Amino acid sequence: MSSGTEHEDRFRRVYAVNFAPLLAYATRRVAQPEDAADVVAETFLVAWRRSRDMPPEAEARLWLYGVARRVLANHHRGGARRERLGDRLRQRLGMAAAVDPGSEVPERLTVRAALAQLGELDREVLMLTFWERLEPREVAEVLQVNPAAVRTRLSRARARLRNLIGDGDGPPGHVLGVMAVRTSEEGR
Amino acid sequence: MTDEHLDRMIRDADPYRPDVIGRFDGAAQHLLEEIVSLSTLEPVAELPPGPLRARRGVLSALAAGGVAAAVLAGVLAVSVLDGRQPERQPVIPGITSGAKGPVGYSAMVLKAAEENPRLLIDQPGWKATTVYGFAEKTGTIAFRNGEREVEMNWYPADQYDSYHRDRLDVSRPERVQVDRWPADLFRYRAGDFAVMLRPRDGSFVELRSSLGWTRSEFDQLLAHVVRVDARTWLAALPAEIVTPERVSEQAAKVLADVPLPPGFDPAALADLGTNDAYQFGAKVTSRVGCGWISEWLRARKAGDAAAVQRAADALRSSHRWKVLHQMNDAGDWPEVFWEYADMVADGKSPTGYEQALGCE
Repeated sequence: MSSGTEHEDRFRRVYAVNFAPLLAYATRRVAQPEDAADVVAETFLVAWRRSRDMPPEAEARLWLYGVARRVLANHHRGGARRERLGDRLRQRLGMAAAVDPGSEVPERLTVRAALAQLGELDREVLMLTFWERLEPREVAEVLQVNPAAVRTRLSRARARLRNLIGDGDGPPGHVLGVMAVRTSEEGR
Repeated sequence: MTDEHLDRMIRDADPYRPDVIGRFDGAAQHLLEEIVSLSTLEPVAELPPGPLRARRGVLSALAAGGVAAAVLAGVLAVSVLDGRQPERQPVIPGITSGAKGPVGYSAMVLKAAEENPRLLIDQPGWKATTVYGFAEKTGTIAFRNGEREVEMNWYPADQYDSYHRDRLDVSRPERVQVDRWPADLFRYRAGDFAVMLRPRDGSFVELRSSLGWTRSEFDQLLAHVVRVDARTWLAALPAEIVTPERVSEQAAKVLADVPLPPGFDPAALADLGTNDAYQFGAKVTSRVGCGWISEWLRARKAGDAAAVQRAADALRSSHRWKVLHQMNDAGDWPEVFWEYADMVADGKSPTGYEQALGCE
């Protein structure tokens, strides 16, 4: 049984090491950059309150991705923010969100539109593999499935994505709506 | 387009820009202090399963239905044919059946099969190629007919609204029916359709075709999708799909050249549900690998040098197991397996093996 201070110290270390990867994870999966603040805040709040479930520090990241995935699903279902945390982060992210022309080249938009057309699991397997740079067994851990199933998904998702990209233009006006997080406006 | 090119394109499309983190002006620290100032005793909603939860619950989901092994605790004894005629089954001509004559299913197996959507394509030429469950109430079954493919994924009913809302961004829904059950058709683009059925019995199905169908071809396909009873569904899966009554035969093949760890009971494999050959091979070798690694750890702790050697030799021999070589083209399970087997054979502690190999 660890003391309160040890518990807090450990949490601070996990936070310091994993804040940036978690923010990246969240940013890649929300419609508005500032929505990532809610996901990050909620994920770390869960980690703070469920520290006993958290694996050792070196392995905490995959567990946090798993928590964030569940938090995102809640947001997709319109779950209200339960704690008013991270407002400053939200504000900063909103300010930092000037569009980078480099990220909007047609090829990238095509790939993202194609990703948005995949089923949620296919998309998540691809994103965890290529954006979070996880190994199949790590993807399996985040998704709580068998690594073999991940490999099967990955090759099928690649094939489907290739078909979608190879098919020319994405559907007009369809950007990552599938991944949009819809949170209620502040103060509503 | 090569895999390498495609992979690079996906990586390049990453919308996250690391430089954004430099402009936080203390906001990250501020959030940290906010969190640690809160009590740790509040309830937390919607947690993913803890990392130590037995993975077998997911792995052994009846692949086409996501019935967790927790539900199927113990052994699913598939009743062998004892001369009793099973209940009369509706005959669906055109569905490729791998069943050789009537088969008796235990109540447990039937119950498990009941838990999935049990949709089939009642048209000649369609064959189930991929079957697996990803989690409880979640699964995939893919049917192929020549170049054409139809995939059915199903998800828990409580996720229906969010999926449906998401699909409203794709196109306007068009009301259709699948075997008299209401569904919405979404059009991603010309020749690319998805159909989402209303929830039923705790899950909902989304059906997606390969590209390049005309609408009338797709409508024709939909007209041939039927929901069948558990017996019919089990009987209609082709011989390559390892349904519960085929487990012992397939397990004997898979294990023919595989040394079995102490206490390994092939009869216990009856709880693996329904899987395509690849998934089945992974689940069976997972149990064998987990058994040998745990025996190796036990023997090492007990100072039993002979048993340590036996376990190491068994794991080393996995490089010659036929099943892993057969699986090697389909995915990376064999590489994962050999990585851990080699660690042990080389005398190193296989940290994280339970997670990687899905041990119970």
